[in-house]
Amino acid sequence: MKTTNPQHRLLALLSIPAFLFLVIPTAIVVPVALNDSRYITFPPEGISFAAVAGFFADRAWTSALTASLQSAAIAVVIGVLLGATAAIGLHGRKFPGQPAVVGLILAPMIVPTVVLALAFYQFFISIGMVGSIVPIGLAHAVIATPYVYLTTRASLAGLNPALVRSAQSLGAGPLSVLRHVYLPIILPGLISGALFAFSVSIDETVMSLFMQSPGATTLPVKMFTDIQFNLTPKIAVSSALLVSVATIGLLLQVLFVLKRRSSTRMLPLAVSAQT
Amino acid sequence: MSNATLERTRPRGRGAPPSADAPRRRRSGWWLLLAPILAFDVVLFLTPLGKLVGASFADNAYQRVLEDPLVVRALVNTLTISLASTVVTVVLGYIIAMVLWRAGTVTRVILFAVVLLPFWTGILVKNFAWAVLLQDNGMVNAFLQGIGLTGAPIPLLHNRFAVIVGMVHCLLPYAVFPIFSSLASIDDRLGLAARSLGAREGAVFRRITLPLSMPGISAAGLLVFIISTGFFITPVVMGGPGDMMIANQIDYYARQLTDFSGAAALAVILTVMVSILVAVYQRVLKAGGQHEDN
Amino acid sequence: MTASVISAESIPGTGRAAQGAIELRQVSKHYGDVVAVDELDLTVQPGEFVTLLGPSGSGKTTTMMMVAGFEEHTAGTVLIDGRPVDSLPPRDRNLGVVFQNYALFPHMSALENVEFALRMRKVPRAERRQRAEEALGRVGLGKMGGRKPRQLSGGQQQRVALARALVFNPAALLLDEPMAALDKRLREQMQEEIKTLQKSLGISVLFVTHDQDEAMAMSDRIVVMRDGKIVQSGPPEEVYNHPMTDWVASFLGDTNLIPCTIVERNGEEAVVDLGGLGLAKVRDRGASGESYAVSIRPEHLKFRTRASAGNGCAATLVSSTNLGATVRHRLTAGGHELQLRELSSDRGTRILPDEELWVGWDADKAQLLVLES
Repeated sequence: MKTTNPQHRLLALLSIPAFLFLVIPTAIVVPVALNDSRYITFPPEGISFAAVAGFFADRAWTSALTASLQSAAIAVVIGVLLGATAAIGLHGRKFPGQPAVVGLILAPMIVPTVVLALAFYQFFISIGMVGSIVPIGLAHAVIATPYVYLTTRASLAGLNPALVRSAQSLGAGPLSVLRHVYLPIILPGLISGALFAFSVSIDETVMSLFMQSPGATTLPVKMFTDIQFNLTPKIAVSSALLVSVATIGLLLQVLFVLKRRSSTRMLPLAVSAQT
Repeated sequence: MSNATLERTRPRGRGAPPSADAPRRRRSGWWLLLAPILAFDVVLFLTPLGKLVGASFADNAYQRVLEDPLVVRALVNTLTISLASTVVTVVLGYIIAMVLWRAGTVTRVILFAVVLLPFWTGILVKNFAWAVLLQDNGMVNAFLQGIGLTGAPIPLLHNRFAVIVGMVHCLLPYAVFPIFSSLASIDDRLGLAARSLGAREGAVFRRITLPLSMPGISAAGLLVFIISTGFFITPVVMGGPGDMMIANQIDYYARQLTDFSGAAALAVILTVMVSILVAVYQRVLKAGGQHEDN
Repeated sequence: MTASVISAESIPGTGRAAQGAIELRQVSKHYGDVVAVDELDLTVQPGEFVTLLGPSGSGKTTTMMMVAGFEEHTAGTVLIDGRPVDSLPPRDRNLGVVFQNYALFPHMSALENVEFALRMRKVPRAERRQRAEEALGRVGLGKMGGRKPRQLSGGQQQRVALARALVFNPAALLLDEPMAALDKRLREQMQEEIKTLQKSLGISVLFVTHDQDEAMAMSDRIVVMRDGKIVQSGPPEEVYNHPMTDWVASFLGDTNLIPCTIVERNGEEAVVDLGGLGLAKVRDRGASGESYAVSIRPEHLKFRTRASAGNGCAATLVSSTNLGATVRHRLTAGGHELQLRELSSDRGTRILPDEELWVGWDADKAQLLVLES
């Protein structure tokens, strides 16, 4: 019942600039990184991997990449463990104070990142935990956990609690209930949540900036510091790396959605934005 | 966040007899599953925030920061930049949501991916790309010179325009999804009915589609505004000295002035502002949900 | 034509009758390789109530959507008032449409809903209001104008939808399963109201439904559709009592289908061999096919005494079920299972299973038809 008419053509026409606006910035990143020039230009003058080689030869950048991967690893592991156990623990249960518990679990998503950054900055200084990647990873875990909780909870929505009870009545202990009942069902949610957690951590800038130290400077922090002086090819390479990660995440998400045939799963989960 | 209210409860005792069931569940100690996250959030989320709030009450911090003309300026900037970004984002988001709504299944998935790509990309990458595009010898200036709109490069970077462009790019997905879902909840037959009653496409949009998607528009507007107020990176990377927002002022107090209590006071002000908006947002979502029932 | 719908009964029949005819000539609708509607010819006479009846997927809704202009037909011509409207958008076809679930605008009051078409036609505010209020009054909702659709019951929403579709004096009314959402009692009441309204306005109606009782109750003519084609068309009693095929017979209600071979055909009557039930005289509509059967509705089978004249046979009672107003008897006769339905009030002596009986039927109530399935 969707006929083509002039108004729809007008809408399509109007939307072209909007879609270009969305796509072009992300689309130019990889070509810019492979530009055969010492300056940052687009369109590129020729293809060269010189900048990529330069990036990986530069200790400052490679250690930033390592720091980012370390913090992401901490965030993903903690996020998956805490988010999944919370989702299972709350599934199908109602008790006084439950809304408060859920509220607490989700709260890190709505507090502006800069506020958290300041709070963590003060907190880790006050307990003398500075100069390593661990506090940054922990801070990322705080904001990544709610994502894992939400994706896991979404995949649990179809599970009848009676299934758990019948497994228990058949003599399954807590651990085998976890393994045989919950794990198969939450696996897609866990994977999707882990992806979210990884993406949140790898892109997070503000908290990492506040808590940076010579041994713990993440990729976005290095980019942020350099970008204020000049647009360099190494920033471009770093951007291209992050875009590749984003694209993989996006493709996985699209595959996941196509498999589940539900476009609501594509809805961004929360307010939190890495600003 | 709003999902918190959607916690589902299921009738007990489907399958196993409830009498034998209840004590078993109590003994199973399921709350142990909640212990890790609660401990973690208390230690690493509530404690730091509590310390922050505590610090904000030291040294007469609130009065001090609110009397700082830089802070006042940053607050004004935050409001005006957020408002401008919100308006642009909602308009663009509406257009994109309309296209998604009207598209066939395959096109829709592809366009969804296009909308989600910036959502998955980090803010620094996006801002870097915009800096490349908007610099004096960048693509946008080359294009403007190419079509003869200007002879010399126009300064497009390091000003408020650039900040808004960068922010809108980050914010668009957050506007598209609420608007899309409110459009998707409109019964297709309403449009058919309006046409059969004599409405042209323009009238269908003005009198049916637009009013029925208002809940989505207000939800999108609030959500985008909430996120806007916390922006930190974009004003630094793409703005000029006069475009600093409240988050930058927090950073300035904390790391340049090393005035923790001042920074904390600003952080509390920002959080309170956002919390109020979040409460309004949830109310709007609820009202929208009720409306769609009909 | 600024006079409201409501006063249409005062318009002389002829003046009104010139309008309102819908005509489809060889109209087809293809979706890729799928043929949804296949070379359909259909005419709705002025003032006629025509029902498109068929199961889902039979093309009835597609047909209506093509008349309304929401679907473009692949071939053929649609005429309204004798004028081809193929290139006209829905808004210029001047047809009132009532949709399934009514499609009332949820953000507008009942009155605003009814006013909508007049607003689109730039009718001045005062007149618009007056005509909309009259239209609401005509459907008995004069005091409900300020309510939003969600504050109205299903039946009231249905009436608003009717008022909205009629207020601009459309050439004809299209109704797409308008009563699907109502419960049985309300549905029957609305059927009568719509029928009365249609008669008093003298407006042509094209009605789409899959509910045979609704079609029987309301139509001047029923057009039975299957797989995008018209399989039979005629007044309700005719289609019900004299189906052309076993599919039509079964779709319109319970029936006894007895396979037969033709012994002799002469015009409206035929003599057939019913196998174990012997020879019988039946009605014949001249349909031809590979194999034949005779359809006798359960209520047309009667208990008889052996002596009485006409068609009949010996039968044995298997079971009897009381359905309230009627009683259904299951019988076997000549190797066939038969159903007989009689009014509870007509039920004479209680019959016992295994008792031997004589059942018969009138020749004009037995219809020769083509076996399709």
